[in-house]
Amino acid sequence: MAALAMGAFSTSSAWAFDLAELMGLLAQQKSGEARFTEQRFVRGLEGPLDASGVLSFTAPDRLTRRTLSPRPETMSVEGNTLTLSRSGRTRTLALDSMPELLGMVEALRGTLSGNAQGLQRYFRSTLSGSAGGWTLDLQPVDPRLAAQVRSMRLSGRGGEVLGIDMEFIGGDRSVMIITPDRGAGAAATATPARSAP
Amino acid sequence: MTRAAAAPGRRRVALTLGLWLLALAAGILLIARTHFSTDLSAFLPASPDARQQVLIEQLHSGIASRTIFIGIEGGKDAAQRASVSRAVAGAMRQSRLFDLVQNGDASDWKDTGSWVFDHRYLLSPGSTPERFTADGLRDAIVDSLSMLGTPAGNALKPLLERDPTGETQRIAESLIPASSPRSEEGVWVSRSTPRALILATTHAAGSDLDAIAQAIATVQGAFDAATRDMAEAAPKLQMTGAPVFSVQSRDQIKTEAVHLAVVGGIVMGVLLLLAFASPRALVVALLPVATGVVGGTAAVSLVFGEVHGLTMGFGSTLIGETVDYAIYYLIQARGAAVAGTGWQRWRDIHWPTVRLGLLTSVCGFAALVFSGFPGLAQLGVFSIAGLVAAALVARHVLPVLAPDGATGMGMRRQMALLAGFLVRGLPRLRWVLSALGAAALGLVLWQGGYLWRADLGAMSPVPKAMQALDAELREDIGASDGGTLIVIRGADVQATLRSTEAAGQRLEALVDTGELAGFETVTRVLPSEAAQAARIASLPDAATLRSRLAAATQGLPLPAARLEPFIAEVQAAKAQPMIRRADLQGTPLDAVVGALLFERAAGGWSTLISLHPGARFDAARLASALDGLPDVQVVNVGDELSGLYQRYLREAFMQVMLGALAVVLLLAAWLRSGRRLLAVCQPLVVAVVLTLGGMAALQVPLGILHLVGLLLIVAVGSNYALFFDQLRETGRADEDTLASLMLANLTTVVSFTLIAISDIPALSSIGRVVAPGALLALLLSAAFARTAAPGGAIRH
Repeated sequence: MAALAMGAFSTSSAWAFDLAELMGLLAQQKSGEARFTEQRFVRGLEGPLDASGVLSFTAPDRLTRRTLSPRPETMSVEGNTLTLSRSGRTRTLALDSMPELLGMVEALRGTLSGNAQGLQRYFRSTLSGSAGGWTLDLQPVDPRLAAQVRSMRLSGRGGEVLGIDMEFIGGDRSVMIITPDRGAGAAATATPARSAP
Repeated sequence: MTRAAAAPGRRRVALTLGLWLLALAAGILLIARTHFSTDLSAFLPASPDARQQVLIEQLHSGIASRTIFIGIEGGKDAAQRASVSRAVAGAMRQSRLFDLVQNGDASDWKDTGSWVFDHRYLLSPGSTPERFTADGLRDAIVDSLSMLGTPAGNALKPLLERDPTGETQRIAESLIPASSPRSEEGVWVSRSTPRALILATTHAAGSDLDAIAQAIATVQGAFDAATRDMAEAAPKLQMTGAPVFSVQSRDQIKTEAVHLAVVGGIVMGVLLLLAFASPRALVVALLPVATGVVGGTAAVSLVFGEVHGLTMGFGSTLIGETVDYAIYYLIQARGAAVAGTGWQRWRDIHWPTVRLGLLTSVCGFAALVFSGFPGLAQLGVFSIAGLVAAALVARHVLPVLAPDGATGMGMRRQMALLAGFLVRGLPRLRWVLSALGAAALGLVLWQGGYLWRADLGAMSPVPKAMQALDAELREDIGASDGGTLIVIRGADVQATLRSTEAAGQRLEALVDTGELAGFETVTRVLPSEAAQAARIASLPDAATLRSRLAAATQGLPLPAARLEPFIAEVQAAKAQPMIRRADLQGTPLDAVVGALLFERAAGGWSTLISLHPGARFDAARLASALDGLPDVQVVNVGDELSGLYQRYLREAFMQVMLGALAVVLLLAAWLRSGRRLLAVCQPLVVAVVLTLGGMAALQVPLGILHLVGLLLIVAVGSNYALFFDQLRETGRADEDTLASLMLANLTTVVSFTLIAISDIPALSSIGRVVAPGALLALLLSAAFARTAAPGGAIRH
């Protein structure tokens, strides 16, 4: 179904794949789960830091990153509430009281829910590739965010995000590879795809 | 009777005038030395139970009495508001008038951050023996590493080699409240309104109004300076909070008291001139009023040691009542057969009625004296002393100054005509009025308890609009005053801190389950010495730590060799002196401690833990989580305040009922006739019921002050009912008596109308009840005067 919808989009505007189309594709994913592996390259450390776990998203605003290795840790946002669970302690914070974090979260939520406005409020975006394989480059607009994050790059295929790379000021870098959970993901995409124009 | 016998003797005259002037001078002298207070606590109950005591202490002198909420609203855009917020907050910090100024600017916490870093092993609940085992160190280091390479890691990274276990991070996290305001352009902003926010704690105590006024002026000045060049596009400044209200109330109460006195005086003057057409009569009529005000104020000063500004504001209504005595005298002493004997006739015929009216009023006000609210008790003492003083002047001084009353006739004939018309016409409406009364009673009974739904805010001298703005700013900042507090008591600071830590541990469990979003406790910046000692004791010596680190960092990208600074700092921490309260002085953390730890007025110490309830918050589970901690109490501020208010409302009902009963008993003792008693009480009861019915129909939420107002209707209205009783008994409805009643009623209604339109809720509630009630009492007294002499009996 997802493939069918994707095909329809690429034929209607085969000559250029634009942000609106990408957002249309992404919007069809109302929820999803995925496994991730992450490698972070931090200056001053001898070797990369590896982490892996599960990501889940439920439109419009619920996002959870559950790290299973090396240490269990959960970060979840829902609406304006950020909940962090690390080493047996849970903390709740108002997301909008930390604008830098809010920007990152909104960019991710905007992308995952296909809401271009949410994304473009915090980042300048450049899209390349086609529906079959795209790359979305993001540059922070807000100076406070720009003082921390140099750039973000999301890559994917169709309505699925398959990778998130981040570069931080100071030279640290993180690379995340996302593997959608096909069982849950396919079921979730099937319904909305039918109603797509 | 000869003239010599009739006129008061020369010696008596001298004695009377001398005593009066002496008393007046003493009163004025006393008032000159009196402190006039305007703090808001006069309308907070004085003797709550132990749990509520903490709350009241907090409202009186706790952090709440020093907290100012500032909003910068409107203007051009968020960037403009943010720059104004920074400029204002900067000027406030420089002024040194504030212990703490927060506007969301992270630079606020730079110094604090380095202090926390230097004391991290004393402050962090993570400093435990387990943490410093090889496994514990490894877990902590892996946790810290997991933050690197994320936006949160930037702050952590420079400290990694000195604090690889992330203690600073852990403390910093715990100091960020769970419900912070939204941040935009680097400053706090409202989530619902275009408004930047500043939260400040004044250095001066909330009761030091001059210092608070200076602090407020500093904010205003800084705001004016910051917006000078913005002209039309400038945002506007909003300020609320108890200290602001105290200062505003002081100014407003001052203004209102003067305003009420001036307007009241002018209106009275005009009325009196109309009635007497004689400036001399005007001056004479004002003597009991002036004496009453002086006497009332002096009495309050003697009893309470100070006079609340609102008492003075309310005092203006006393003008309306005390001027009645002069009116009665000046009119009723006229027309003596022999010049100079009018006062004797008045003394014999009318004074007993005036005296009875005075006594019933005193009964009414006596109920206030026993009120749990110091403000109301002051009103009671003020009114009783004022009325007695005024009546004494009317009885003893006026006969000396105007033995035959006032000479001029003025507009009194017209007043008498109107009064006569009312007296003749109103009884025909008796059945209509009775039916209205029955309907009103029905409405009142039907609404029942719902009618009495006003809250403590209605007692406040703060205008409604300001109360609403305050609620908005509190909501924006996440400092709702209706939240749940944990109160911990102890004999001394250390015992209290230890109990606080025990409570904190139980609360952490609720945070982990999501029942609490978080909580704020003083022990995060001022741990008990026991906790600090335990933390120091858990720090290993250098050699042990070095060998454990080697094991802990096996296979990690952070080799132990790079952690020598950590080992050195742990060794330094072992020798560090414990953190004491004094170490925090002059830092923003001192304000945090001051807000949550305080010495109790009754002895001992207390701490507060303020809670941020989570989505799954459950009061019962909170209580059971804290079970078995004897010094710990959960206080729901909203519930307690409303419980407190309900208790005082019940008490006030009792006092008012007793007051009314006293009035009735007094009347019964004087009248010695069930029929006459009924005739006097009937119009009063109907007046009260109709007033209540009107309030119910207008959807006015009623409270303690309205209740007090109802009692005043009875106290004031009984004067009119008694005069009609007297008319019935003597069969003489002379036009002067009717005119004096009309005039007296008019002055009372005018003075209570003036306070009814006051911006101060505490005053206007009373005025809105008494003004219509007093008018109704007169009209109903006329309407129910069955055997009143018909028009033909009016003497010309």
